[in-house]
Amino acid sequence: MKILIAEDEIELQKSMAVYLERDGNICETASDFEEACYKVDLYEYDMLILDINLITGSGLDVLKLLKKDKKDTATIIISANNSLDDKLEGLDLGADDYLTKPFHLAELNSRIKAVLRRGKFGGTERIEFNEISIDTRSRAAYVNKKPITLTRKEYDLLLFFVTNKGRVLSKEIIAEHLWGDHSDLADNYDFVYVHINNLRKKLTDAGAKYIKTAYGSGYKFMED
Amino acid sequence: MTETQKKTRLLRKTSKTFLWISFLLMVVSTIALYFYVRNLLQGEVEEELRSTEARVERSISKNNPIYQLPPMVEVKTVASLGMEKLKDTVIFDPSQNEMEEFRELTTFSAINGKNYRITVRALIVESEDILIAVIVSYLIIILLVFIFLFYLNKARNQRLWHPFFTNLEAMKGFSLASEKSIELLESDILEFSELNNEITTLTDKVRTDYKNLKQYTEDVSHEMQTPLAIIQAKIENIINGDHLNDMQFGQLTSIQKDIQRLTQMNKRLTLLTKIENQQFTNPELLDLNDIAKQRIDTFSEIYPSNIKVIERGRMHIKMDAYLADVLIDNLLSNALKHSVDQESISVEIGDQEFSVSNKGSQKLQNPEKLFSRFYRESDHKKSTGLGLAIVKKICDLYDFEQNYNFKNGKHIFKITNKNG
Repeated sequence: MKILIAEDEIELQKSMAVYLERDGNICETASDFEEACYKVDLYEYDMLILDINLITGSGLDVLKLLKKDKKDTATIIISANNSLDDKLEGLDLGADDYLTKPFHLAELNSRIKAVLRRGKFGGTERIEFNEISIDTRSRAAYVNKKPITLTRKEYDLLLFFVTNKGRVLSKEIIAEHLWGDHSDLADNYDFVYVHINNLRKKLTDAGAKYIKTAYGSGYKFMED
Repeated sequence: MTETQKKTRLLRKTSKTFLWISFLLMVVSTIALYFYVRNLLQGEVEEELRSTEARVERSISKNNPIYQLPPMVEVKTVASLGMEKLKDTVIFDPSQNEMEEFRELTTFSAINGKNYRITVRALIVESEDILIAVIVSYLIIILLVFIFLFYLNKARNQRLWHPFFTNLEAMKGFSLASEKSIELLESDILEFSELNNEITTLTDKVRTDYKNLKQYTEDVSHEMQTPLAIIQAKIENIINGDHLNDMQFGQLTSIQKDIQRLTQMNKRLTLLTKIENQQFTNPELLDLNDIAKQRIDTFSEIYPSNIKVIERGRMHIKMDAYLADVLIDNLLSNALKHSVDQESISVEIGDQEFSVSNKGSQKLQNPEKLFSRFYRESDHKKSTGLGLAIVKKICDLYDFEQNYNFKNGKHIFKITNKNG
């Protein structure tokens, strides 16, 4: 998959590229408004990650340009501004998702995949990982074609694991993905542990042992 | 009695002073006038008596028949001369056929070898009538003058102080958050004009300071997001790199936790600023019962807790839907964070009030600080100290009343809709 990262903070741009390239994506970068416009105009991308506050212009104008060219590029806006108006404006202009800084790269990754799964980018609503299969439309999971009963949070958790397979996920990242702003509620992330354990047990019972513990307190979804 | 109850209005105070001084002046001047006129009248009567007496004496010395006109003039020959006497007396007046008060002058004189006692009298009633007439007319005149002066004075004072009162009202209505500068009434009185200048300078300065402070909070929160994003992204890449040991991983995830705290704090500060800037302008009629139950469901997923809901009524409220969520979330999360056991949290909803209570061991030490920014009663390390400040801001925005109570071993936070 070809991704353009339009972000004027070079360090953030580089970090995102490093993370996303591990999945075999090809990442190109644009560090200012002109470069972003130029690249969007000239090349074809599957995904555009767009910072609203590009140093020499607004990311929203890049988005307008993209839509004017009638290009079929999925777009995720990233912004330091957590205002609803910005979000609505971005989505109105045709962006597919909106992330507020700071965000976890795993979260960005899972949003990218969620956007691409949507029909209009030719993605499939079925995610397969060996014997595990997830139907994102009906929110159902199967192991060896047999359905397994998951709670809402367990389903979200499984989806997050599968979309970030092979990555180390700390409890912090998982908690924030599942509960957003409310994840700071508890003193510790024991509640995450409970949900992961339940999911792990259900998967193991069905014969899919993929949730591994990493570094004692983190998790990794991977084959042996 | 508190300080404010003792305060008197300026115009009332000046009127009161005027009335007291007028009254005092009236009393003193009336008394003085009374004695002065009485003296004057007495002198007059005495002079008259003496002149009558002199005429009688002259008439006797000319050997005219002795003139008698009781009770006004009485002449008697006496054996010896006595002392002259001037006194008031009450005797029977045959012409009036009643007892009357007279002023009486008795003199003795030896005329042509005979001793005479001459008594002349004058009716006092007449002079007393005059005295009363003078005092009464004086009183009426001075009273009229004072009444006139009183109203004139009052009207004048009112006009004089008008700019002052208008500006006072303008200052009462002054809001820091308002974009408008304070509008004061110009006055041709130097002191008022100076006061206006000072007030305008002061309020402008306060407003600018406040705006700068707000802008500063906004900028800091905003500018922090990008560096935080970079730190967070880098940590994630390190975690996903090789050559980490468990301890390093533990430390890195602990940093993630701190970043998250900073992020939360930022979000809340930004939210506070937004509420202050009145950026939530879509109030809708909400059913708080439904929202509360929905939020409680969400919380139950995150936190293994048992939140009881007691519905005494249905609370319909006009406010921004997002802020309603925030309001309830903050109250719930506050209760969850500080409850002694997580089981005993209850939410009570009435027609006009919403309360959340949780078990506690003792009353909070500084309940008045509870709703201020960054105040933490306990060293709860996960708390940003902004949750209740946000609750207060939202309540202020919609004119709700928030209060805290400790009853039966429970901390109770209550929101009352005063508009309903």
